[in-house]
Amino acid sequence: MKKIIVACGSGVATSQTVASKVTRLLKEKNLNNIKIEVVDLKSVDTHIKSSAAYIAITKIEKEYPVPVINGIAFLTGINMDLELQKIIDACK
Amino acid sequence: MDFLGTVINYILNLGAPVFVPIIMLLAGLIVRMKLRDGISAAITLGVAFVGMSMLIAFMVGAIGSAAQTMMERTGIELSIVDGGWTTMANVSWAWPYAFLMFPLQVGVNILMLVFKKTNTFNADLWNVWGKIFTAFIVVAVATPIVGGLIALILAFLIATLQIILELNSGDINQQRIEKLTGIPGVTCTHRMLFFSAIYYPFDLLLRKIPALNKPMDAATLRSKLGIFAENHVIGFLLGVTFGLIAGYDVPAILTLGVQAATALMLFPMISKLFMQALSPISEAISDYMNKRFAGRKLFVGLDWPFMGGASEIWFTVIVAIPFTLIWSVILPGNKILPFAGIINIALVVPAYILTKGNTLRMVILAIIGVPFFLFVGTQFAPIITDLGLATKAINIPTNQLISNSCIDAPIFTYAFSFIWQCLQGYFLPLFLAIYWCVGYFFYARELRKESLQNIVEQ
Repeated sequence: MKKIIVACGSGVATSQTVASKVTRLLKEKNLNNIKIEVVDLKSVDTHIKSSAAYIAITKIEKEYPVPVINGIAFLTGINMDLELQKIIDACK
Repeated sequence: MDFLGTVINYILNLGAPVFVPIIMLLAGLIVRMKLRDGISAAITLGVAFVGMSMLIAFMVGAIGSAAQTMMERTGIELSIVDGGWTTMANVSWAWPYAFLMFPLQVGVNILMLVFKKTNTFNADLWNVWGKIFTAFIVVAVATPIVGGLIALILAFLIATLQIILELNSGDINQQRIEKLTGIPGVTCTHRMLFFSAIYYPFDLLLRKIPALNKPMDAATLRSKLGIFAENHVIGFLLGVTFGLIAGYDVPAILTLGVQAATALMLFPMISKLFMQALSPISEAISDYMNKRFAGRKLFVGLDWPFMGGASEIWFTVIVAIPFTLIWSVILPGNKILPFAGIINIALVVPAYILTKGNTLRMVILAIIGVPFFLFVGTQFAPIITDLGLATKAINIPTNQLISNSCIDAPIFTYAFSFIWQCLQGYFLPLFLAIYWCVGYFFYARELRKESLQNIVEQ
């Protein structure tokens, strides 16, 4: 089981929207061993160590030890397949 | 009407944790959700309601009795418990007509796109609850003045106005937001941006003071305050502060601290279950809209968090916390004890866009803004409590009031839902509505000018 985190400012609505969407897209591809977890933006550093990738809703200026995925793509639908592939690659 | 009234009463008596999931299941089947997924989502929604109700009761027990003791000891009456925006969302989804707001928002958006009155597609279907919130406040205020049926019609009219203005606000703010965040093609359709209209005249004055317009390194400031931004830490500090003022002994102070931390940490955890349950509906609508307007370049309207990378926002939010507490004590008529709403994003994000991220001006504007939020939160408390109790969305002792110290777009919501009181000779809401409209008009003019200039430069 690989864990991927999504974060937004309140850890409620936007991040959960993205998490639900990615979970559904992965399920359609029969990838059931990836778990998407919602966290609060302010606690990303605590969770990142145990994650395979980080889906960000905000612009990222910091370096992270794992691939950073553009979460906005899952809200707008633009480049969504590309970002989804990045998630799948990160979990190989 | 009698028969309809009986049916509505029967449904209401089931309580929100039962009737809202049933409505949600029906809505899910309409947008062709699979029955299995629909049932799972409906039960999740029921769990969200029961979970929130438990948590609110827990919070009221801990904070409410501390507030009571504080009042006996100091004479400061802050008797309304602050449930934050998660409590407001909980009560809003419990409104019997809540789900009608989905087709209304989508329908108005499609019409405006077809007639080229907007370039924004509002993809933020979570904040449909913001329209529900305004609508039930309108019903509560207008019913005694104009009667139940007309009040309900007015509620949907004001909600429609809010939907249109959110799209307009998305249009006019888009360029500036893109510049600030570096994220193309998106904008913010959250009504919290309406509060810029209230800030605007103040900011025009602040812009004239050269000392305030020096750049500041918000990132460094924020990293120093970093730990205070985490929900459980803020909760603990607030609990300890309340315990001290209430004159508790040390074990009781620390216990209240941990209880307050528990409430603030669990609120988002439970609240995200609402979004989890609603996501199939929101995805179905998004997919439909993308297909319907494929090929036309639209701005996608989102909730505020994509701007959450800005250190200026978090720094100002934290600085505003002590000022919120001070205002709550000195503001005449305030009854809210700031708690779960104290991480007040709706206070700061409008100032962030208005000042283009000028930290000093953001802080000053936020300090000016707090009393507006406390005033409106106090005014709304009986309405919110009544609806919550009637729908069984909250379960708190009678005589205890609950509200929110971070109501989004407080002045817009207050002014346009209380405006009918001018029929009874009370003109403050009307005055505030005019203030808001004038502020919005001139702020919109500034943004449009800036957008035109950007196009010319390119």
